Amino acid sequence: MLRTRGLTKRFGGLTAVDAVDFDLGGDELCSLIGPNGAGKTTFFNLLTGVLEPTEGTVELRTGPASTDGASGAGDDGNGDGDDWRDLTGAAPHEVANLGVHRSYQVTNVFANSTVLENVRVAAQAADGAGTNFWRNAGQLDRYIEEAYDILDRVGLADSADVPARALSHGAKRQLEVGVALAGDPDVLLLDEPNAGVSSESVDRVVDLIEDVAADHAVLLVEHNMDIVMEVSDRVVVLNQGAVIADDEPAAVRDDPAVQRAYLGGYEPGTAGGDAAEGTGDPDGADGTDGGEPA
Amino acid sequence: MNSGLSAEFTALLPRIETLVVVLFFALFAMSFDFISGYTGYLSFGHAAFYGTGAYLVALAANDKLPLLGPETPFMLLLVLAGVAAAALALAIGSVSFRLSGVYFAMITLGFSQVLYVFVRDWDFVSTAPRDGVAVTEKLEGFQIGVPGVDALNVAIGQLTGDSVEGLLGFITLSPTEVSFYAIGAVVLVCYLAMQRLVHSPFGRTLIAIRENEERARAIGYNTYAYKLRAFVASGFFAGVAGALFVGFRRSVTPENGFYFLVAGDALLVSIIGGFGTLAGPLYGELFDAGVREFLSKEGGGGGLLPYLRANVGDATLATDIYNGLTVAEATDTFLNGHAALYVGLLFVLFVLYVPNGLLGTARDRMGGTLSKAVPRRLRRWFDG
Repeated sequence: MLRTRGLTKRFGGLTAVDAVDFDLGGDELCSLIGPNGAGKTTFFNLLTGVLEPTEGTVELRTGPASTDGASGAGDDGNGDGDDWRDLTGAAPHEVANLGVHRSYQVTNVFANSTVLENVRVAAQAADGAGTNFWRNAGQLDRYIEEAYDILDRVGLADSADVPARALSHGAKRQLEVGVALAGDPDVLLLDEPNAGVSSESVDRVVDLIEDVAADHAVLLVEHNMDIVMEVSDRVVVLNQGAVIADDEPAAVRDDPAVQRAYLGGYEPGTAGGDAAEGTGDPDGADGTDGGEPA
Repeated sequence: MNSGLSAEFTALLPRIETLVVVLFFALFAMSFDFISGYTGYLSFGHAAFYGTGAYLVALAANDKLPLLGPETPFMLLLVLAGVAAAALALAIGSVSFRLSGVYFAMITLGFSQVLYVFVRDWDFVSTAPRDGVAVTEKLEGFQIGVPGVDALNVAIGQLTGDSVEGLLGFITLSPTEVSFYAIGAVVLVCYLAMQRLVHSPFGRTLIAIRENEERARAIGYNTYAYKLRAFVASGFFAGVAGALFVGFRRSVTPENGFYFLVAGDALLVSIIGGFGTLAGPLYGELFDAGVREFLSKEGGGGGLLPYLRANVGDATLATDIYNGLTVAEATDTFLNGHAALYVGLLFVLFVLYVPNGLLGTARDRMGGTLSKAVPRRLRRWFDG
């Protein structure tokens, strides 16, 4: 569905993302884990056109799939029925219009608009209807209905008329996913949808992730290892910008290199399901790293 | 009117001449609010579009432009003024929207000042370009109305306008009053068009850009293209406002057309009226013009100072307050010609205590736009 080849991003002397070859299958939920500062968010920004890669390519499959395998490895895009579209260097709105949408680690919605309008304006964008200047947006029921469907799905239908800024933190995280969903994506990149969510609300967000994964290709950044083990089809581990493991959850968990770099003696279900944290990275400094015990 | 309060009303209410100015300047301020209040990009150089519309009409009327002459219908000039300003907005916007925040404001300001200096020294426009252009080649007034139907057109202007006598048996209007209604009709049409834009999916997209441009981009909006389109539409209406200005005043100078403080006034009344409310700038301009006139001595009979002079007893006026300063002298000192000072103070108070402006605050209080909230309240009131 989405693949990168040799994707690299350097900031001055720092290599944030280092020659990453990555494949996301069409019906897959792949988790991206790694210590703070491993380059997960930078990787997201490269995929969505926010940053331009120093080297390497990002491609999206736009044609029919010959294989929908979990890894997609071996697809070279030549003569096997797949059409790949080069996303390297595309602007964020172009990436979005091709069906790759993302949510943000720190809630990033239209704060003064209502919850409904947040989702409605995204649904309208997916249809290319933003240039319509002659109809009254309040009378275009299609987008309003679509928005209500999505609010139902993310569990916010009751808060439709509340300004987004007034939502609780957990509800904001749900809205964050809702806005990304409203763009009718094929590929959904979720950047820590659980960040800072209280333990009572985590289940709701996890259910939402699984629900969304049923009909989207999902790439999930997540720190809570219990959730990663539970929901993922595949886990990719990033350390210092490079992929150090790419396998099924159980295999990744038992990988000694991963244990060393990140998991640090993780046992499923123990208190503090979060993997190694607090390595002095600015990512973790804002306290949104989902530090709730599982 | 000779009721007991007529002197008070005369002092308080603006004159009809002022209200005509309020109308076309409010249109300009609304066009400023359309881009600045809805996308969040402050167009400090908005005077460029107002000046372009104004100069286009003045030059056409003086037979300076190819294909357009003094006989060109004013309704056509209104549209052409809008189109010319919109084209200029496309040129300025396509460069300026590569920047954001204060840099956008600065670069639009720069463009408008370049045009200001250029027009000030361009002797094509008139023999004394610094003094602007007066309409000299066209003696009759500019006509507003339905194109092609003579009976449905009226001429505007204080001296050149039509007056109406005995319409429907009882309506009698002076030329200025006719201008008020005719210009008001054009402003209303423009307002309704902009309101249509604001409430459309396009307008909602602009609000999304104002709220969070990064996210707007991430959900698939090419924000650059949207901002540019909004800027062009805004430029169009600013050009129409400039055309109405010359249609009524029959002259324009670089100072009241292109100078950056013209946009500054639009910003001021937008903030007083309510930023991002579209109709707010009209109330802001009405408030601003009303206060200025109330505090200035101009206008035969209107305003605070003439009211005090006429209605406070001579003995009181001659009273010595301090060191030979009489009441009459004191009021003169504090009121005469200082309207701008008090308006400035009011502006500071508005920014501090009424940050949402007149209309924005009213909407917050009523819980929605007034057109919806007021009938709702009335219904509740009548239903008990």
